[in-house]
Amino acid sequence: MVLVLALGDLHIPHRAPDLPAKFKSMLVPGKIQHIICTGNLCIKEVHDYLKSLCPDMHITRGEYDEDARYPETKTLTIGQFKLGLCHGHQVIPWGDLDSLAMLQRQLDVDILVTGHTHQFKAYKHEGGVVINPGSATGAHSSITYDVNPSFVLMDIDGLRVVVYVYELIDGEVKVDKIDFKKTATTHSAH
Amino acid sequence: MEFRPRDYSSEETTYSLPRLRTELHPLAIRPSLIQVDIAGQEKNDFFDPLRGPSGNKEESVGDEEAVQGIETTRGMPSIDDRQLTQLSAKEWASFKRSLAAQRFSVSKTVSISSLSDAIVKGGKGKKLLVEKFVGSFPIVLVTFPEFTYLTRNLAVPEKPTTSLHLDELNDPQKFAEDDVKVITRQEYITRLRELKDEIGRAWRADDRVTSLKLSIKVARLLMDTTVSQFYPALFVLVTDVLDMLGDMVWERIKRRAEYADDGTVICCLQDNFEANDVCPDAKETCYNWFCKIGSIRELLPRIYLELAILHCWRFLDDQPWRNLQRLVMMMRGLADPLASAFCRLYMARCAQKLLPGDTGYLMTCINDLNLILMRIILEKEPMPKNSLDNKKLLISLVEPTIEWIMKCIFKDAHQRRADDIVKELGLERNLSKSSGSVPCISIVLHHLLKELPAESVCSHAFEIVQLIECNKDFSFDQYMNYRLLGLKLCERRPQVDCVDAILGKVFQVTTQYGNLDQYLKVVDAYLDLVLQYQMDNYLTIILDGISTRAFNEVVAENELNSLQSIFIKLLAHFNDLEDAFALNHFVEILDVLYGSSRDVVNMHILDKATKSGYIRDPTTIQLLFEISQALHDGLDFSNIQDDEHQQPARLISRFIRMVDYGTALERQLEFLVECRGAFGRINELKETLVHESNNLAIKAIKDSNKLVSFVKACIAFNEVTIPSVSASFKQINLYLETAEVALQGGLLSHTDGLIDSAVSCLQSLDLTDGSQIPIDIDGILSLVRKLCGLLVIVPGNIKQGVAYFPRSIISLVDSKQWITPKLRIRVFCAIVSLSATLSQNKLPYHSNSREVMTNDVLFFGDPAYYQEFVSISGSVLENVISAVKQEPNLATRGTMALEACNCILSSFKASHEISSICSQLIEIAQSCLNANDKHLRSTVNLMRGQHSTCSTNAPVIAV
Amino acid sequence: MSIELKLSRSNRIYRPNEPIAGKIITKFPSSISHQGIRLTATGTVNLQVRGGTAGVIESLYGVVKPVTIVTKSVEVRSSGKLSSGTTEIPFSVILRQQGHDGSEIFYETFHGANISIQYLVTADVMRGYLHKSLSATLEFIIESENANLLQAPVCPEMVSFYITQDTQRHPLLPELVSGFRVIGKIPTQCSLLDPINGELTVESSAIPINSIDIHLLRLESILVGEKIVTETSLVQTTQIADGDVCRGMTLPIYVILPRLLTCPAIFAGPFSVEFQISIVISFQSELSKLHPKADPRTPRLWLAMETLPLRLFRTKTAARIWPCTFYGAVMGRPSVMSALHHNFLLAGK
Repeated sequence: MVLVLALGDLHIPHRAPDLPAKFKSMLVPGKIQHIICTGNLCIKEVHDYLKSLCPDMHITRGEYDEDARYPETKTLTIGQFKLGLCHGHQVIPWGDLDSLAMLQRQLDVDILVTGHTHQFKAYKHEGGVVINPGSATGAHSSITYDVNPSFVLMDIDGLRVVVYVYELIDGEVKVDKIDFKKTATTHSAH
Repeated sequence: MEFRPRDYSSEETTYSLPRLRTELHPLAIRPSLIQVDIAGQEKNDFFDPLRGPSGNKEESVGDEEAVQGIETTRGMPSIDDRQLTQLSAKEWASFKRSLAAQRFSVSKTVSISSLSDAIVKGGKGKKLLVEKFVGSFPIVLVTFPEFTYLTRNLAVPEKPTTSLHLDELNDPQKFAEDDVKVITRQEYITRLRELKDEIGRAWRADDRVTSLKLSIKVARLLMDTTVSQFYPALFVLVTDVLDMLGDMVWERIKRRAEYADDGTVICCLQDNFEANDVCPDAKETCYNWFCKIGSIRELLPRIYLELAILHCWRFLDDQPWRNLQRLVMMMRGLADPLASAFCRLYMARCAQKLLPGDTGYLMTCINDLNLILMRIILEKEPMPKNSLDNKKLLISLVEPTIEWIMKCIFKDAHQRRADDIVKELGLERNLSKSSGSVPCISIVLHHLLKELPAESVCSHAFEIVQLIECNKDFSFDQYMNYRLLGLKLCERRPQVDCVDAILGKVFQVTTQYGNLDQYLKVVDAYLDLVLQYQMDNYLTIILDGISTRAFNEVVAENELNSLQSIFIKLLAHFNDLEDAFALNHFVEILDVLYGSSRDVVNMHILDKATKSGYIRDPTTIQLLFEISQALHDGLDFSNIQDDEHQQPARLISRFIRMVDYGTALERQLEFLVECRGAFGRINELKETLVHESNNLAIKAIKDSNKLVSFVKACIAFNEVTIPSVSASFKQINLYLETAEVALQGGLLSHTDGLIDSAVSCLQSLDLTDGSQIPIDIDGILSLVRKLCGLLVIVPGNIKQGVAYFPRSIISLVDSKQWITPKLRIRVFCAIVSLSATLSQNKLPYHSNSREVMTNDVLFFGDPAYYQEFVSISGSVLENVISAVKQEPNLATRGTMALEACNCILSSFKASHEISSICSQLIEIAQSCLNANDKHLRSTVNLMRGQHSTCSTNAPVIAV
Repeated sequence: MSIELKLSRSNRIYRPNEPIAGKIITKFPSSISHQGIRLTATGTVNLQVRGGTAGVIESLYGVVKPVTIVTKSVEVRSSGKLSSGTTEIPFSVILRQQGHDGSEIFYETFHGANISIQYLVTADVMRGYLHKSLSATLEFIIESENANLLQAPVCPEMVSFYITQDTQRHPLLPELVSGFRVIGKIPTQCSLLDPINGELTVESSAIPINSIDIHLLRLESILVGEKIVTETSLVQTTQIADGDVCRGMTLPIYVILPRLLTCPAIFAGPFSVEFQISIVISFQSELSKLHPKADPRTPRLWLAMETLPLRLFRTKTAARIWPCTFYGAVMGRPSVMSALHHNFLLAGK
């Protein structure tokens, strides 16, 4: 059992001063094995904070990130799964399934994690899984100010993944669960 | 050629993974673990109740130390003691180096002296002249073997001296006639080194008498204190020789104790041997050495030689340190204060080898030194040799001895022993008598205070303050002792009533100080106490005092440092910045500061202000604004070192972000305008301002859509601000963000204008321009793609043409030299994807502004609109193959071909035209990539899949 | 070709009742024959009267017949051959005759100016008339027998002294009219194994002090005819103060007695050896520079002095390291500073 924290689009300090306190109190060091972050942190302090939660951290670059060293895309393997990471503002139109599928093919990953829309999404499409953890701070997006803060925790266990969605709705943290398995057909959907 | 129709909303529902509300999740706070989370918030490690509070650990360590301390005081040398000695040997080595270096640096410009037949081989009757320069006046010394001197401007009490006139000094001929030998410092040192070698040689040749005789000669050099600045260096050189002799004697006696004459082993002496373990022959030899040295006529070399072999007493006696008291007493016979001080220093050093359990001899040393110096200080004879300058020089030369001996006294002294020491130094008794007499001089008191453990200082604080009060001699500045006491007291918290009494005393004196520097040095040291004990009356006194002294005066550098320290302490103390501001004179004194101290304090203030949440108080905002302004104005942009003003810039940015006027959005925007005016020189700040203004606009939109004029003002503010951001790349980003906000606010014309500005920015980017920092192609691509994503919801402008922006982008890509094939292909793909999206009957997303009608509504069913995008895509497709072929790198070319192919396949309905382009792209990819490449295979699969369902005449593709 | 003597004790100190043991070491390139090897131990008091001292009549000048203490001769080897290379021949001589009542006096070894008490051991390898006999001589040192000595170190008899202008038998510098006062304590008897321990305090002085020295003097008296000629000479000078020391500060007097140059006081018929200790305070004076090499005992304007007899004796064991309590008593360790301060104030008055 490996816990992977996926989050992004914090826009600190431009659009939000900090993570919601309720999220912060849940995120304690030592629990999480990997952090994948889609980008738009935007400053180094946030990077350092995340690093203090878990030193194994993978970040891609959002358009507001100061640190130009973050890559546009990144892939990593956790257990049986190959994960791909991209901020998502580069995908046209934003959050489009077919466009994300192209990226998924290009990166050759089982799970693609992207952001930018600030809306949580989880799809199973063309045999792969696409997850958007939303904005961890509830920052306004390119198209809407109506954003609930959210992040995702993936519990990867063998061929099974349980995705926990943490969403702050009206000051309360709501947790949803999504369960999926990697099937033999993952790579040969067509 | 036809775009593939999409139904985004049904796709969404089809592919979305089902969500289930759950209470059980990995981050759930279980009741039993609440503590963990609390601890986690404070970034503590796991809390184990069984382990007890972490403080216990320290306590137990303390106990151990105390036990060890008792053991060591009991007497018998333990291994720890040995280590201590070794440690002290190291300390000594570094101390000696500093002594030599520190004084040598003086004596380089200064000069040398000296005498003695040891240095002048020529022998009797021949005069020795050492010549160099001290600052502007030359010192010439003529020294005779018979210990008479000719000196000028040098205080050498109790030595027969004869003044020499300057003109005589400048006439070397005069001395030449008298057969004078001139010797430089370097020659002197060289000669001493030679002597050392000679002593070693004689020893190795079993000529120990010669070794001893030469060593005595060397020791006698220390009798000459005529050039006092050279004395410390001389001391180091001489004791170096004597240490060598001491070690040789020790080794010889040890050898005699361990081996018989014929080489057979008698015994092996352990490190902690006793006198009983030493055979009579060895003892005899050892005693002989002391007898030989005892027969030296002159006092000073006799003492030095005995000190050199002092550790050899261990062969004779199990309590060798009993000799120390006698030696200390003997040193009283050395009337020259400099010589006697350094002699004591050497003793303190040599005594460490005996591991004396008792420090009585050191106490006597200090007391004697104190008495000697007191005599000099109080002497009022108006003789030139007793001039204040000379006395001060003497004190400065003697200081290292006082310092070292104090260190030795308090070395590993525990609280209990420290109290005994205080008693033994007679401080208590004298004070209780309060006869007004001074028990010790300031410099001695200073070093005592310095070494005294903070606990002892606290328990004797009142006595000490009285002591300082009556210490007014020039050997050390009184205020610096007050300061030291304050600093020591701050280390440990003394009793409240005690603090009050002490502060009373201290302030009684310090309020008399007219000098700002002195006043600041003292109050700075006590400020922590005043704050800790919340003695607001003293705080008032301090601030009043500073303000009256600093008024109408240009504050000097060192005073700035003290003020800086005071401000930092004040700021650290108050939780609420406003409380600090409310202090009397706080702001007034702040204004006295300038330069880097001012900046440092300002930064502390800003840091403090921005850490405790939003700033809402208008006066505070105003003050912080002024502080930020001062900080901003103080930045030196002529010499831009990025790091130097990054910190202030960051703090000012943070301040701007933390200012919150609540619902008074107009005021907030006004503030941003003010900031733009005030902090124009910091580039980073402008970005902050744009972000803040956008936030403000979003806030307004969110609260009520009716505040259009305010949103407009925000957007307008950004339109003005963004062009002054220096980096074009950042400008584009900010234009896009503002465009997004404008769109959300329903301000279409602004959106158009902002996007236009962004595109112009892109167009004006010139990578060949060497002056600009090279812009990463990936970054530009990222922005162009983002722009395309945004254009999905930007309504087409009929005046300019619905595809105005996509066409602008294409023309940009075609016109710029620096566009790489890779960038071009990807931009083409973006345009194709955008066209395909815009051609759908329903767009995947819309702006949340209800006033904004997107293209799917505006141009629904308009064939001209549809045709426009087909035509754009067509022109792109015409060029894409050639663009791919231009990519020089094979692997990249393959990937680009696949990307383009994927994009085309996903955008268009299958047709012959599309198939042919895709086939060509696949062929290119196949020629560049490995056949097993996963991307290639999946793309081929995708193509086959589309064609098996949609196309009738698909060309055969070899895979 | 060499012959060498080596004694069993490296310090060569023996008591009269102890056998003087050792070995004769011969080193020859080839073997030689000899007519016996003889070992002789002698003890002699050499006396001489040197002229020049005031009051000694010219005719008295010259060597006085030495006094023999002991002569002991033994044959360690009868005639024979000594082989080539190194040969060691052990020997042992008893000085005190068996059955003797012990009334003969073995004075301790002493090297004085006019009197010298010396013990020698000589080895002779006799080689007949054709060859010079080979011989070697070595001095050994005699110290008093343990049995005759005091059991424990005797606490030295301390006398207090004070030196002022009034105690001087010679005129002092006129500037000293306003006075000076030095006080102290010093032993009048002392074990040879112990240092002379005393103390001295300069209470006041109108003129800066140049130096304070402790002179150890010996008084050697020789009976020449009817007359006893006594000469005082300097054994050792020990400076205890260099320069104008602090008033009111107690300085220690600590003098280690030089070996061989000192011995227990002797009062024999033909000669006697006694010791004195002299405290000399020299004041800073331009005049003193004109006489840099003057005899310290000569009264001078800038010298104040006090001479006291010092009886030296031998004890079984040495105290050697002087007990600190001695200084402790003076110093009063607790609150040293205040004590000194008190002294200082006194001095200042």
